[in-house]
Amino acid sequence: MGLLTRWVRRQFTTRVIVLMPVAIAINIVLGAAVQQGLKLPIYLDSIGTILVGVLAGPLAGALTGFLSNLIWGYLLPSPIGSTTIAPFAITAAVIGLLAGLWGQLGLFRPRRGGRGSIAAAAIAVVLVGALALYTYARAYASPEQFQSNTGIDASQFDQSRIFFLIVMVAYVILVAVALYLRRDVGAVLAIGAGLVTGIVAAIVSAPIAAVVYGGVTGGGTDAIVAAFRAGGDGLYQATLKQGLLSDPMDKMVTSFVVFFIIGSLSRRFVSRFPNGEKTVGDSPEVAPEAPEVSPQGATES
Amino acid sequence: MAIELSGVSYRYAGSSSAALVSIDLRLEPGRVVGLAGANESGKSTLCLVVAGLAPGVIGGRLEGSVRVDGDETTAMRPHELAQRCGLLFQNAATQLSNTTATVFEEVAFGPCNLGLPVAEVVSRVWWALRTAGIEALAPRDPARLSGGQAQLVALASVLALRPGYLVLDEPTSELDPAGTRLVAEALARIARETGAGILVVEHKTDVLAQMADEVVVLERGAVALSGPAAATLADPRLVGLGVEPPAAVRLERAVRASGIEWSAALAEAIE
Amino acid sequence: MPVAAAADPGLPDYVARQPRGFYRSVNPGTKLAVAALEVVAAFLLPGWVGPLLVLAIVFATAAAARRLRGLATIALATSPIVGSILLINLFLLPGASDPIARLGPLAPTWSGLWFGLQTVARLISFSLAIGLVYLTTAVDDLLADLARRGLGRRAIFVVGAAVQMVPGTIERAAEIVDAQRSRGMDTEGRIWRRARGVLPMAAPIVFGALTEVEERTMALEARAFSAPGRQTLLRVPADGPADRVLRWAAILALVAIVALRATGRLG
Repeated sequence: MGLLTRWVRRQFTTRVIVLMPVAIAINIVLGAAVQQGLKLPIYLDSIGTILVGVLAGPLAGALTGFLSNLIWGYLLPSPIGSTTIAPFAITAAVIGLLAGLWGQLGLFRPRRGGRGSIAAAAIAVVLVGALALYTYARAYASPEQFQSNTGIDASQFDQSRIFFLIVMVAYVILVAVALYLRRDVGAVLAIGAGLVTGIVAAIVSAPIAAVVYGGVTGGGTDAIVAAFRAGGDGLYQATLKQGLLSDPMDKMVTSFVVFFIIGSLSRRFVSRFPNGEKTVGDSPEVAPEAPEVSPQGATES
Repeated sequence: MAIELSGVSYRYAGSSSAALVSIDLRLEPGRVVGLAGANESGKSTLCLVVAGLAPGVIGGRLEGSVRVDGDETTAMRPHELAQRCGLLFQNAATQLSNTTATVFEEVAFGPCNLGLPVAEVVSRVWWALRTAGIEALAPRDPARLSGGQAQLVALASVLALRPGYLVLDEPTSELDPAGTRLVAEALARIARETGAGILVVEHKTDVLAQMADEVVVLERGAVALSGPAAATLADPRLVGLGVEPPAAVRLERAVRASGIEWSAALAEAIE
Repeated sequence: MPVAAAADPGLPDYVARQPRGFYRSVNPGTKLAVAALEVVAAFLLPGWVGPLLVLAIVFATAAAARRLRGLATIALATSPIVGSILLINLFLLPGASDPIARLGPLAPTWSGLWFGLQTVARLISFSLAIGLVYLTTAVDDLLADLARRGLGRRAIFVVGAAVQMVPGTIERAAEIVDAQRSRGMDTEGRIWRRARGVLPMAAPIVFGALTEVEERTMALEARAFSAPGRQTLLRVPADGPADRVLRWAAILALVAIVALRATGRLG
């Protein structure tokens, strides 16, 4: 039990406690701005959540996401406040949880290296593309093979093939853009983590949307829901499919943004967070010699 | 009874160069020590080390010893340090907790964190407000104050913890002359009435001339000059160290340089 | 630090203030319990009973507390999603086969209309039940009540600071968007151009906020934020016998509804 308490306390240092409201405010403001202003078919309300998750850990990330939705839903006046957004607090918590996992695994660590990194970057893109093509060839060779390989009914063959293509192409494009802008091979991992997060988020959100909102989410994404229903899908299925299109896109873009943010923060700043050592990248600075006092962890409250 | 630094060197986490090199410093109760120096000379770092936040809160590597009334800062937790040595920064806005609706509750933030009984909290708050000279601001919204007022609220919130020493890192740098005067007067009053030892970093050497008993000048993390305020601020090496001498000193030099006699009466008239 | 004794005005009224007015003076924890009951009732009571009952109660309370206009604003703010729900379900409810009319390729159905309206009713009653709590409770009071019930100072700080920070962040964001619009950023136009606008808008907001984290952390530590034990509460919302009775009644009713629904007694 002691180990668990320590793991919990470690994630909630004063620095994390200070970061969380900032992250929550970022989530809410950007989410509201996209919802009302930018009119893109994504949400962009998880930048803060993923940032906290990666830097501080799964619990802190989950709580950031959860509280963001609650505060957005219950504690802010219209027009910013949106009392209909709160049920998705569960999804937001899951996103934060996953981000903590990715942070622990060091998936958001900048990996720039030197001249060799451009070659590494090009190789990374080629590898990713090849992997995608291979998976595509194996799963989508024919409807029967599709069903036997994935266990999903063969009638979904065409649609899921398009899904797969869209999502994979988006992934490759985002990674390529990130590599072009930053020559940082870590983008492959970070955006990949975003892809997985998006899929999980879609799966978690679909039942919530189906039960609370009759399968609709009120954003620009509803046109997509309508399209699927017109194609004959059930309530839950249409919502799930819309989610599987929007969420991976949204989370990949968000992870892209968070990755850039972390890469731009100073080493000194990042290293003071609980997941700091896993997220501090290679930089020209000489590594510190031992012994060093690590920043005070959370004390009893 | 003093804050004593002996042979203190400090290096930030992840940094290869030392921010402070072999510093010896003594801050006694009731004395005001001014700290000056060029940018990046280590003044802010020294403030963090004296108040114990380095390495306690921000990590890094400390050599030598930092003692507050005989106790090593590295052996104390942040809330214990806060009650021994208060620390103030230049940006008043980031020192507000952003969770309170009135200045009174803002100043009560520290004592409430300590879990003191309500009566004790209330009496400490009124004392702190009075000492900082801002009793009239008690019902106001902390987010809607002028720079000088906000800085005084930050000062009162730290005072409410009744530290024996105060460290201030450029408290007036973002303030206009009116605000600067408010803060300087409050500091002088605090030193006089409460007997706290004060360490204040200031670019405005006129302020230092007014309230410091002793001045220390840093260069590249080490002590370059130190001594009584008047003498140190008149030291000719000051400019070379990136510090502009107070107006009175500059005037005296200009007057002498143009061949006019400089007398004590003249100096008096300027003060 | 030696201290000179002087007259002590005591805890000022503006700190010790208690909220007044119908429903506003009810304990925040009780209001939360009532809202939770209303939400559960809206979703778990069969058919239209739940939403209509909740709406009636919420409107009556709001009227007595003189917050009808605020409630109307919140209801109005849900119109985009309400519109979506009605439209999509009216025309595209899966499996519906009882058309109202045929408008070319579109066929609105009765079951679609019914389902849409019911979903909307539930959504609005849930949303207004929460909205009523928001309209009759100050965030400070809510947090103080939760603190009295044991919520730690860290959680209180996170929620309190987040709520205070949002308006400031919005202002900063608005300034940035204006500045970028004058530099040619598209907020209409093709998707690709709009997407490119995301990073330049998000980055300054985020970095501006992040640069303050270090100093805010130190300022908190300098105010004994990580001291152990419970923090002192200067002000706690009243929690009289009526508040407690109402709260427990609401919780029991909530549990009863959930239990009845789970065992199939409510259909």
